[in-house]
Amino acid sequence: MHNKRILTILMGCLLVMGGVAPSRAGLAEQVASANAALAAGRPIDALDSYKTILSSPALTVSSSAELWYNRGLAEEKIGNAPAASLSFRRALLLDPGFAPARRQLGVVLGVLGIPFVSGWAETLPAMIHPDHLVLAGSVLGWIGILALIVLLVKGCRRKWLVLAALLLILVGHGGAVIGTLVDPRLSATKVAVVTTREAQELKSTPADSASSTGSALPGSMVRILSHNGAWCYVSVGAGLTGWIPSEAAIPLLPSIKGS
Amino acid sequence: MTGKSFQAMKSRFFSTLTLLLFLATGVSLRAEEISVTAGLSRSEVNSGDMAELQIKVSGAQRADVPQQIPVEGLNVRLTGQSTQVQMVNFKVTSSVVYSYIVMPLRTGHFTIPSVTVSADGSKFRTQSLPFSVLDTSGPSSSGGVGATSPSMQPQIPALPGMVGISQPRSRPAPSRPDLERVAFGEINCSKKTVYAGEMVPVEIRYYFDARYAAQVRGRVDFGGEGVLLERFPDPKEGREERNGILYNVLTFRSLLSGVKPGPLDLKPAKLDCEIQLPGELPPGFDDPVFQQLLGGQARFGQTREVAVKTAPLHLEVLPLPKEGRPPTFTGAVGQFDIDIIVSNPHPAPGDPATLNVKIGGKGNFKGMGPPVLTGTDDWRTYPPTDKFDSSDELAYTGVKSFDFTLIAQKPAHLSPGAEFSYFDPQSGKYQTLTVKPLPLEATPGSAVDVPLTATPGKESPPPNSSPSSAKAPSAATPGDQNPIPGATLHYWTTPVLRSEFLRASLSMIIAAAALAGVLWYWDLQARGGSVATRHKRRLSELWSIINNEALDAASTYDAVLEYLEMSAPENSREAILAPLTARRDHFKYGTGGVRPLSQTDRKQLMSELCALVPTPNHA
Repeated sequence: MHNKRILTILMGCLLVMGGVAPSRAGLAEQVASANAALAAGRPIDALDSYKTILSSPALTVSSSAELWYNRGLAEEKIGNAPAASLSFRRALLLDPGFAPARRQLGVVLGVLGIPFVSGWAETLPAMIHPDHLVLAGSVLGWIGILALIVLLVKGCRRKWLVLAALLLILVGHGGAVIGTLVDPRLSATKVAVVTTREAQELKSTPADSASSTGSALPGSMVRILSHNGAWCYVSVGAGLTGWIPSEAAIPLLPSIKGS
Repeated sequence: MTGKSFQAMKSRFFSTLTLLLFLATGVSLRAEEISVTAGLSRSEVNSGDMAELQIKVSGAQRADVPQQIPVEGLNVRLTGQSTQVQMVNFKVTSSVVYSYIVMPLRTGHFTIPSVTVSADGSKFRTQSLPFSVLDTSGPSSSGGVGATSPSMQPQIPALPGMVGISQPRSRPAPSRPDLERVAFGEINCSKKTVYAGEMVPVEIRYYFDARYAAQVRGRVDFGGEGVLLERFPDPKEGREERNGILYNVLTFRSLLSGVKPGPLDLKPAKLDCEIQLPGELPPGFDDPVFQQLLGGQARFGQTREVAVKTAPLHLEVLPLPKEGRPPTFTGAVGQFDIDIIVSNPHPAPGDPATLNVKIGGKGNFKGMGPPVLTGTDDWRTYPPTDKFDSSDELAYTGVKSFDFTLIAQKPAHLSPGAEFSYFDPQSGKYQTLTVKPLPLEATPGSAVDVPLTATPGKESPPPNSSPSSAKAPSAATPGDQNPIPGATLHYWTTPVLRSEFLRASLSMIIAAAALAGVLWYWDLQARGGSVATRHKRRLSELWSIINNEALDAASTYDAVLEYLEMSAPENSREAILAPLTARRDHFKYGTGGVRPLSQTDRKQLMSELCALVPTPNHA
């Protein structure tokens, strides 16, 4: 009887965590229409539809990797490779294991002349989605905590059972922590993509007349260090920093209020 | 020494001194010879520029020079004089410099003639000087000054770097100038009949009388519905003479194209500015000598805000003909030529090659689409990136480069060709330029590396790690370009930053605490409750045993002892228990222990017990 009560409490907690999935209603028809336009060779129409869909209120807090991938395809077909690279990166941000987006991003970056580097920090999220890792780890960790409570209160004399519960806590919550650390969304808040068609000149000061310190290639990722009006101070890597117009570097993570 | 000889010696000294002074004066007078020279600050000027002529008279304090030097096509007037005095080694020299302003009235080559100068009763002549005025081009149609209300505010904000026009020193300004002549604009469009989309250079010139200070207060207001006008770059500044008046000229150049076919009437191009105009002179200040002292300018002026306008512009916009329009026409209008270059004619297997198609000439480069590649059966192509290099500031002429990325699908020996169509407004016909393929040796990548089927989320990661990798282009097959149906939603934020996760974690903490509490309570209940409860319950049981008259004496004393152990004060417990323990042992190990206590013994035991524990809480 006691075990039944514990299971009831656990199920309640899982329902609280899992019952927040956003509604998908109302978008299916628009998505189908946009996909049909893209498949029919009308990328401009498809791009307009994808922009409308992805800026809808239902897709602000959460979004679809497939839709961003399709949008990237449309942008690629109309020749806007930098914007396509941003869309593919966003698709991978939502689902790091989304292989078509990863492959197409490699192709687009190849066209733009930018190396596509993939290390363990990208490989691990690609193998298991950070959301799944965090959720599964948390559930396991909490099961371990509950089991430990039961064992201690009941005065269990089997030490291996207590050790197993402690191991479950360690593995579960440790996995959740790792899932959080490797989640690309955690570090995406300060990252932007250069979406201009031409290489963006890095200025020494936030002014058009300032001297150039280097350039950022179209489609390349930059790290935003600070803002000053319509300019942002970015790091391109290898110690190369400079000011570029804010409109030239689109944040990788769309605003929660709207994309 | 006698007095006579002293007088003779004194006389010789003064004679010698007088002779030396005479000689010195004679040397000085020989050094004061008069010479006259003339020179020009510049021997060659552009139309609208001025030069300065100086006549220098050395060795004299003053001289007589003409007020004006007559030269056909030039206005040469005396503007002032300056005197220079120098003393070197007690030698004093003086010179007078007379300055003339040389204002061209027309272009051409001139000779400033020799000038006669009178000094110290003698006449001298300067040398003649050559002088040239170079030609500048003139505008066509002019407008004038629009709104002249002094209180009118400019509607267009001032430019960050406003163009200022300084006021030169020229001939005196009239007291009541005609505004139409003080500032006016002209517009010049090379063509009056254009095709839709055709870029036509347009030039707008604003003239400001150089004798009045003027300040531009805004941007050029020009354009309207049915035309596209490129942004005006910074204007060119210059000077030009019109009807004997020197003007400062601002020249704006841009490109104009008609969008809507049909007649098109554009409003005059307007430029807001401020001009300082002369006002009425106060009494006593209208003397010509006084004005000349002020440099010929009216110092008692007023600033007027004026809108300088050109004449309106009429254009006839013709539609692009539908007849003969090639399928590869993408909106280019102008005159162009084409060329292609293969940047890497021998790419590694699977590597992309780049075909650079250059479109050069003049026309609407901004509205131009890419050329069409031909013979692309063996190639996979991507939309090109483009770059425009202009050879003028208006981006009217130049070269636009389109870079196509090509990936061989089969072994290929030739690149694709290119075809580009445009409309030539001069001939009024469409033209198609074609270039043949170039030698290009390329082979596709290894087929082993090509995953032909792409299942979303199930496929292996992309094989390439660099743009030159052979696997990268091969991995993306044309079939992969199809959109992926469905939409799986994922959050933009990591779980630990979401409120749901925090709520769930808090819920789990509460649940764990509740679980621990419930389990503890159940365990407590299972073990008979708390210590106090169990203590109380045991005392009650013992009291019942003690009051059981049928129980044997030994057991009764056992119960009494346990009762007292649990309830007697700790400090007196030993003293209380000792006699009772001895009595219990007597019954237990002696005789009579198996029988119940007698009534007398029981009464005595109970009275002792009540005395030891006066307020039993078990009753």
